Amino acid sequence: MTENPTAEGSGPEPSDDRSDTPRHRPPTFTGWLRSRSDEELTALLSARPDLARPVPSDIGALAGRATTRNAVLRVLERLDRFTLAVLEAVVALGDDRLSEPVGVTAAELAEALRPAPAPAPGTGTAIGSDSSGGPDTSAVHHRPSEEASETTPVLDRALGELLRLALVWPDRGRVRPVQVLRELLPHPAQLGPPARPLLADLPHASVERLAGELTPDSTASTPVESLAMLLSDPGRVGALLGRVDERAHRLLEGMAWGPPNGTVTDARREVDLATAGSPVESLLARALLIPTGDETLTLPREVGLHLRKGVLFRELSSEPPAFEGRERSSGTVSRTAAGQAFTVLRGLEELLELWAQEPPGVLRNGGLGVRDLRRAAQTMEVDESGAALLLEVAQAAGLVGTDDRLSGEWLPTREYDLWRESPPEERWLRLALAWIGTDRVASLAGSRDSGGRVRNVLGPGLARPGAPQARRDLLNTLAEAEPGLVPSEESLAERMAWRHPRRESSVHTDLVETARTEASVLGLTAFGALAGHTRPLLAGDPDGAARELAEELPRPLDHILVQGDMTAVAPGPLVADLARELALVAEVESTGGATVYRFTEDSIRRGLDAGRGVADITGLLERHSRTPLPQALRYLVSDVGRRHGRLRAGTASGYLRCDEPSLLEELLNDRRAEGLGLIRLAPTVVASRENRATLVERLRQLGYHPVPESGDGAMSLDRPEVRRADPVEVSEAPDREASAETVRATVRALRAGDEASTIARRPVPLPTDGPPGSRAAAVMAALSDAARDERRVWIGYTDTDGRQVSRIVHPSSVDGGFVTAYDATRDAVHKFAVHRISAVAELADPDA
Amino acid sequence: MSCLIVQSDKTLLLEVDHESADECRRAIAPFAELERAPEHVHTYRITPLALWNARAAGHDAEQAVDALVSFSRFPVPQGLLVDISETMDRYGRLTLDGDPAHGLVLRSSDRAVLEEVVRAKKLKGMLGERIDGDTVAVHPSERGNLKQELLRIGWPAEDLAGYVDGEAHEIDLAEDGWELRPYQREAAESFRAGGSGVVVLPCGAGKTIVGAAAMAMTGTTTLILVTNTVSVHQWKAELLRRTSLTEDEIGEYSGSRKEIRPVTIATYQVMAARKKGVHTHLELFEARDWGLVVYDEVHLLPAPIFRMTADLQARRRLGLTATLVREDGREGDVFSLIGPKRFDAPWKDMENQGWIAPADCVEVRVDLSDAERMAYATAEPEDRYRFCASTDAKNRVVGALVERHAEEQVLVIGSFIDQLDELGESLGAPVIKGDMRNKERERLYDAFRSGELRTLVVSKVANFSIDLPEAGVAVQVSGSFGSRQEEAQRLGRVLRPKADGGSARFYAVVARDTLDQDYAAHRQRFLAEQGYAYQITDAAELLA
Repeated sequence: MTENPTAEGSGPEPSDDRSDTPRHRPPTFTGWLRSRSDEELTALLSARPDLARPVPSDIGALAGRATTRNAVLRVLERLDRFTLAVLEAVVALGDDRLSEPVGVTAAELAEALRPAPAPAPGTGTAIGSDSSGGPDTSAVHHRPSEEASETTPVLDRALGELLRLALVWPDRGRVRPVQVLRELLPHPAQLGPPARPLLADLPHASVERLAGELTPDSTASTPVESLAMLLSDPGRVGALLGRVDERAHRLLEGMAWGPPNGTVTDARREVDLATAGSPVESLLARALLIPTGDETLTLPREVGLHLRKGVLFRELSSEPPAFEGRERSSGTVSRTAAGQAFTVLRGLEELLELWAQEPPGVLRNGGLGVRDLRRAAQTMEVDESGAALLLEVAQAAGLVGTDDRLSGEWLPTREYDLWRESPPEERWLRLALAWIGTDRVASLAGSRDSGGRVRNVLGPGLARPGAPQARRDLLNTLAEAEPGLVPSEESLAERMAWRHPRRESSVHTDLVETARTEASVLGLTAFGALAGHTRPLLAGDPDGAARELAEELPRPLDHILVQGDMTAVAPGPLVADLARELALVAEVESTGGATVYRFTEDSIRRGLDAGRGVADITGLLERHSRTPLPQALRYLVSDVGRRHGRLRAGTASGYLRCDEPSLLEELLNDRRAEGLGLIRLAPTVVASRENRATLVERLRQLGYHPVPESGDGAMSLDRPEVRRADPVEVSEAPDREASAETVRATVRALRAGDEASTIARRPVPLPTDGPPGSRAAAVMAALSDAARDERRVWIGYTDTDGRQVSRIVHPSSVDGGFVTAYDATRDAVHKFAVHRISAVAELADPDA
Repeated sequence: MSCLIVQSDKTLLLEVDHESADECRRAIAPFAELERAPEHVHTYRITPLALWNARAAGHDAEQAVDALVSFSRFPVPQGLLVDISETMDRYGRLTLDGDPAHGLVLRSSDRAVLEEVVRAKKLKGMLGERIDGDTVAVHPSERGNLKQELLRIGWPAEDLAGYVDGEAHEIDLAEDGWELRPYQREAAESFRAGGSGVVVLPCGAGKTIVGAAAMAMTGTTTLILVTNTVSVHQWKAELLRRTSLTEDEIGEYSGSRKEIRPVTIATYQVMAARKKGVHTHLELFEARDWGLVVYDEVHLLPAPIFRMTADLQARRRLGLTATLVREDGREGDVFSLIGPKRFDAPWKDMENQGWIAPADCVEVRVDLSDAERMAYATAEPEDRYRFCASTDAKNRVVGALVERHAEEQVLVIGSFIDQLDELGESLGAPVIKGDMRNKERERLYDAFRSGELRTLVVSKVANFSIDLPEAGVAVQVSGSFGSRQEEAQRLGRVLRPKADGGSARFYAVVARDTLDQDYAAHRQRFLAEQGYAYQITDAAELLA
């Protein structure tokens, strides 16, 4: 490897370290992070939101968190195949266990990422020859140039991305990986570990023997070091290779492109140059293979690289595979998806209205029963899997919840009332966002958990942490296809694998498959292509999505067509008021793009029971009907109106009265009413032994329709009370995107915290064993001084959770045991209790 | 704005006043059944059967989806479109074929479907040995049952196994003074091309003539199954008039007569009759080598006839009906045993062309007097209807109606003899009852037809008689004609448009706030759904 200064205008990052780290100390990752601008930190926290939850106290904490295993694993999943390859290259070549200088330059990367030489490796040719790149003109492949120092825009972009994500960092013109990556990517580009750690694990005697034979005149400090120096020198490695036979070469070629481990019996045997017989032994004696177990041999990275002529990947494309599939007009796709979206909204509304009246019970485990699910599916006119999905989404959107009673019931929430009032496109938007964000997978309902219990919709056990990511992956991938192109399943899978190779797993594939179905049920896609209104949604423009969807959705109407067969057709969705009034006086017969209402005696009576008069009902219909009201309907309304309330019932003694004696006569003659114990008191009044409730109920069953009467003789009409539940708390996924404002605030707090923990300061001496109160007095005195001089001071503080924190504050007043001060961490004025302040320090440079 | 709205329950709403309504109707009619036809918005329903009928008629799923997408006012949900294509594609994956070596075989273009079918429990015993991967033998006697069961499990088979020719018998249409209407010819030809199936024509469109035309085209001995004796006579009279058949060639096979002739007309009732659990008249099916079996009013076909029909699958079958909707929901059996729909007349077209004329219906409401109300209230439940239906208040109204239509032929129809006698007396019109001698009845009918007699009062019993003359005005005072469907059909038969082109009138006189009115409400809904105009008037208004 040749040292190469970073070329002007290329390479990842200007190399000069802006941190105030003293020159004699080697640069560190933390130092680099600290040197990043606020914008760059903001970019980092936006890209890796999990680093800011909770807000780290200072840059050191941030650096620690950014390099933990889990945090890095999470970000690795997001890299596409090319960027991941670049990262592997950085890890492979920039490992600090390789010989000095540590890190790798952009030019070296460009060199290593060139395509493999034309003849397939493994033929045992050209070992040890110099490693110049073969000419490859394939447009797709990342192409090396003659000038080794030149890099390409794609590589720069990938390196820039890795820096932005703080997976690699620049160190004096070279790029270094964060250390945890060498564990997470143990075989970058299918290469073995560097020779140094492999040798260090060998018994001391073996290393000494190898060093003695191979590097007899080394000046290095240790045998390991001298061997490592040997292997890192391509010329000397070539010389070693030149001395082994053809069979040994073939063996090495087999391991060169990975996996870098081989199995052999008695790997740890004693060998030396003189006695080495078999090919394996000749390689072991030259440290070209190093035993890593009783039966395992490993090809050191340096040797592997040499065999590959410095090339890391046989094949590497910087472009994702193209989509293949059939074309559909994007208009049809959007329209069809909008139709589906509308169906979903209507079904859900219908169901929740029903649940408000007849709420299903909550199972003991918290879910919804199978029978209730089936009924919900019927109501919404979808299959059960569709119903499960819609219910889960409704819950995620906070539209359904349980009431707080012991034997709970599923009810629409108060949120639902607000939701219902909003325009359809916004209603859909809320469902779509809830679906993308929820970690619950509705299709798991009905399956059994490890304990053999059936999982229920809305119940426990449906959460899958990878689900939101799978959905976003799917949608974002689809968004890359041309509008209207329906990618084939294979082409979609290939593309997804390219975008996030680290995410591929059977679990992820299943989740994506589920998401595909669910997206089409919810109207985000149709025929397998992304709908027009989903694109802005993914681009973070929900308003745009709403606008696009609104174009496709039917607009609410305020008219209906009334017909002679006692039906009214609303040729589209109705404005909410009209829909509610109609639903009161007519039965809904079919729904869809239109709604068909049927007027029956019962439905008209229901309207009258709810306080509407005959004139109200005909007036409503006259106002809104585009067609003349059929005469038969007028008759129906007035007939029912005329009879409505003819018969009245009372409580106390239980009585019936009626202005028409004949009707009471009829009732008294009704054998079915004998059980009520009716006695005629007057031509128009009948008393009963039964109380009013029983009486009314029984008479209604018999086909009479008495109206309950209140104490003063007026008709008492009632409507069922509408019940609502509280919204459920929806938990946030840890890597859910934060708003720009939040991220900016986080960076501000970080900076302030970092300053507080790192700034040079002169502690104010506080008495530790003085008289009671003297310590508080000293604190107050110091702070009062600061307030007077308008100086900033550093304080150590025990917060309400008992944590020791440090802050730099700008005291404004000290009063009543409290210090009022501006706290930059929170960007707010805050009161600190004096007795909780454990230390006070003056800043070396108070105005800095 | 287009004219079609697709509902999630797979009904289609068509705004008939829309300018493209006609075009749209033509596009959707092949795969959707007209369910209701009130004045503004017609309702069609897409059912699996409707889709399979469309398939059998050579339409494909793409066409159906296209029609919906292009005419729908609102986006059609994808789920519905997928469902339609999937359902439609199920028809014809299986075919029943004649095979020279194995007789009857079931073939499939989709091996997975055949595997599913071969494994189905319900089909055990109907299928024979497996001939090869795509073919399995079928016992010839199970041809009908197999088709029924296959339809039930959702894989309807296309029957391509052909028919026996039957005994030839020359039948010609005698087109003297009349001729086959174009749609009737088309219907008969569609049937002939398909071999078996159902022709759907609205009431009064001349289904009997389509039957006659089909018989003439087939030219074989024919068995005709009809709903009741009245229809037997009607068919016989119509065949004598429209074809070269003579009285000797047409046999009547009913409760009272058992004649078997080259053309035999039998009632469902007699065929379904059983003695000691055995159908006694089954031999009729074997009595001759029938070349054609005609089923009149297929939507009323009773269950035993279905069973018998299952064994007649090798004979040509023609079903005639005004509607494929059966109140017992056995549309599937009609599809698999009689055959797919072969012809469906655009109802509105026929109306526009004047082939059929729905009547104007007027419901006249009379009030019961207080005394009557009291009596009604205290009447035993079984007497209530009789009481309210035969109230005296109706007599005055009928009188006024007859007077109003003094220049027209008026039929007054009722079920209660006392009431009819009273009416006859007050109107000065003869009353035809069940006990009247045939000769006298004939004489009165003739007088009515000739116009010599303007008003005739007939009982329900009498109105089943075949030769009930046609009239411009009918007044119903009590009773109903049976099921709602039957009622509408009979109305269509009795009422004829007036000479001046004005439509016929049907009055129903109804007592307010009684059972009578409840029955009237049902009638009103059905008539309105059939497209009849319906009005309600108060007796007081009418009399004023």
